[in-house]
Amino acid sequence: MKRNTLSLAASLAVSLLLPALGAHAQSAATDADLAQKVDKLSAELAALKAQVQASPAAAPAEPATVLTSYGEINYNRPSKKPENAQADVRRFVLGFQHRFDDKTKVVTELEVEHGVSSADDAGEVEVEQAFIEHQLMPGTALRAGLFLMPVGLLNENHEPTAFYGVERNFVETAIIPSTWREGGLQYVGSFDNGLTVQAGLSTTFDLSKWDATSTEGAESPLAAVHQEMSLAKARDVAVFGAANWRGIPGLLLGGSLFTSNATQGQAGFPSARITLWDLHARWTPQRWDLSALYTQGHISNTAELNAPLVGSATLIPERFEGWYVQTAYTAWTSGDQALSPFARYERYNTASRYADLGAGLTPDALPTERVFTVGANYKLNANVVVKLDLQRFKENKDNNRFDLGLGWSF
Amino acid sequence: MLGSSDPFPMPRLMARWVHAPRLLPLLVAGLLSACGGSADTSVSTPQEAPLSAAAALGEKIFRDASLSASGQQSCATCHNPATGHAPANALSVQLGGPAMDQQGVRQAPSIRYMSFNTAFFFDGEGTPTGGFFWDGRAASLAEQAAEPFLNPREMANTDKAAVVAKLAQASYAAEFKQAYGDAVFNDVDGAYLRMTLALQQYEREDSEFRGFSSKYDSFLLGKALLTEQEMRGLALFNSPTKGNCAGCHPSSRGADGALPLFTDFTYDNLGVPRNPDIALNADPGYVDLGLCARPDLASHTDLCGAFKVPSLRNVALRGAFFHNGRFKTLKEALTFYVQRDTNPEKWYPLNPDNTANKFDDLPAQYHGNVNTTEVPYNRGLGDTPALSDSEIDDVIVFFHTLSDGYTP
Repeated sequence: MKRNTLSLAASLAVSLLLPALGAHAQSAATDADLAQKVDKLSAELAALKAQVQASPAAAPAEPATVLTSYGEINYNRPSKKPENAQADVRRFVLGFQHRFDDKTKVVTELEVEHGVSSADDAGEVEVEQAFIEHQLMPGTALRAGLFLMPVGLLNENHEPTAFYGVERNFVETAIIPSTWREGGLQYVGSFDNGLTVQAGLSTTFDLSKWDATSTEGAESPLAAVHQEMSLAKARDVAVFGAANWRGIPGLLLGGSLFTSNATQGQAGFPSARITLWDLHARWTPQRWDLSALYTQGHISNTAELNAPLVGSATLIPERFEGWYVQTAYTAWTSGDQALSPFARYERYNTASRYADLGAGLTPDALPTERVFTVGANYKLNANVVVKLDLQRFKENKDNNRFDLGLGWSF
Repeated sequence: MLGSSDPFPMPRLMARWVHAPRLLPLLVAGLLSACGGSADTSVSTPQEAPLSAAAALGEKIFRDASLSASGQQSCATCHNPATGHAPANALSVQLGGPAMDQQGVRQAPSIRYMSFNTAFFFDGEGTPTGGFFWDGRAASLAEQAAEPFLNPREMANTDKAAVVAKLAQASYAAEFKQAYGDAVFNDVDGAYLRMTLALQQYEREDSEFRGFSSKYDSFLLGKALLTEQEMRGLALFNSPTKGNCAGCHPSSRGADGALPLFTDFTYDNLGVPRNPDIALNADPGYVDLGLCARPDLASHTDLCGAFKVPSLRNVALRGAFFHNGRFKTLKEALTFYVQRDTNPEKWYPLNPDNTANKFDDLPAQYHGNVNTTEVPYNRGLGDTPALSDSEIDDVIVFFHTLSDGYTP
């Protein structure tokens, strides 16, 4: 406001002075008149200056509306099956945040997957986030709308500049179904001791849509039944909580828990509960970036749920879990650039246990997949990253591949 | 064509509608209820509301044998409510005609759960889907109902006027007039159309046509348990490596909770052996080509030999199986599925060199259309069949859970 007044005064002065200076044709104005005018303007300017200096200097105003974006363009080349090599605009995300006042803002993100979305194309367009955040008091805020679940290390910070490797790790895509978002109400509290607590109520999965004839459920059980708040069945309400402690600089310790019934009261489906929890740690001493995560999911009553599906390709698992350890080291920096080689070992199983359905009818647990990834992230600057890695799969060796990726985030 | 009366292709029927403006409101209502009815796959509720006037008339028409040339055949004669609205006998093809001695051309299907079917179309992947009759030539229940009255091998009326004349003499003629106007019988086409629409309404509204009252339905709704053998049968039915029956006969609930219909209303070519019981087959030049025999699909030679996937609900009540009623027991039919290619000599006549004359009901140029890629009929000569004898028995026991009218 005050800056505007000052600039208004300045432009007013200029617009008044310029014609005055250029008025050589107006011989009617005498030198005395002009001098008087200039004096008057000087006095007004001085008064305005004093006014501005009396009130505290306005901080450089942030724009109320901020555009955000991230994108991933990936290339995968399976070493044993080069005919399956693929190049994909994996994600193109545009979002905006708009601040209504100093307490309230809206955060949104719109995502296009796989480049082209149409009835005949593989891509999808989806709303990834759309929530209002309102600060109740410093350090305490409420979020309402569609938000990312505070689970694991990747889900809330999933931009390509935030993780190592071209593809997101399997534990946090197959077990924790990143990018996992639900709709509801979330409390976010940050405390002076470095603890951040998030908790809330949200929508949840829909077990009644499990498709036993497809392999989706074996790739990721929770992703197969997620609803993405798209005409989502909402009879069941989930409770979730997460705690992350950053009391010691460079160290993050945290965990989360999510639980809800998930058969949404559909006729003929017994009540069944989905529970997912995780523990994670990240330590960044000097140039190292070390992280580890363990997560486990449970679904109750799967014997009853699976009875009508018996014999089908993919039944509902009772338990699924995974963990990984990752090491990265920033080997070289130059200005904004940084090169960080990394290595990650992960183990995950999307169906480590099935409930007993009777002899000959109970499916065997799936084998645990083990993936070893080694590669490097090269940051051109803090917002642009080029990635390269090699991945080896112990179970599905046909998936062994070389990956290349380009990503940005701002 | 194949001895049947002229089919009623959509364009001609549309032309009739345009020329009969009085019919338009009724037809619009019929179409609107068509949109509502055929898309509805919700879990069935017991008969709550009484039948509408049209449906009540439809029920009477359905059971009225006086509407046939012989006076002995109604819709219910072949589509017997007691046996899943399918024939109660084990004939390959039913007898009809003015003297009830003419063999039909194809087996009379069950007409239950048909309100969930749609008109024929090619889906996004080019898969033929929908349509009524074994070849999907009728676009609606009403269109399907229009044919048997005029089929010389079935109810054998000479023309629509003959049918309408009989309708005017029926015991319910007064109710028909009450519903459609006193002058209804003066307009032959109009009365005939209303008759078929009444039958359609009956098939849509009467809960007998969509009972969902089998033991398997109770099991899906959590109200009953299957026995061990029935569960084994279900597992073999579902398993993509064993029976893989669920591939065309879905057994699981829809995403919206709808109970399964055990058909996806698509078509398949099984290479079923020629049936000597059908008199027409005595002429070696005669062949039933199924889908491509339709004039509008004549150019789709890849569809020659393909017939509709029927629902397996109430299949245990049936006496004959497949479009030509070639097999009379479920055991035979299922054994054919798994041993068609491993032991073809069991199913087809032998050539002079003792090899089996496979797919003898299809001209040689169409043998490539027969499904040989999907489990269970993807085996070769001498391979082990996908299901053993006792496994077939398990599946048959499971089939018995699909019959409506289960009480615990």
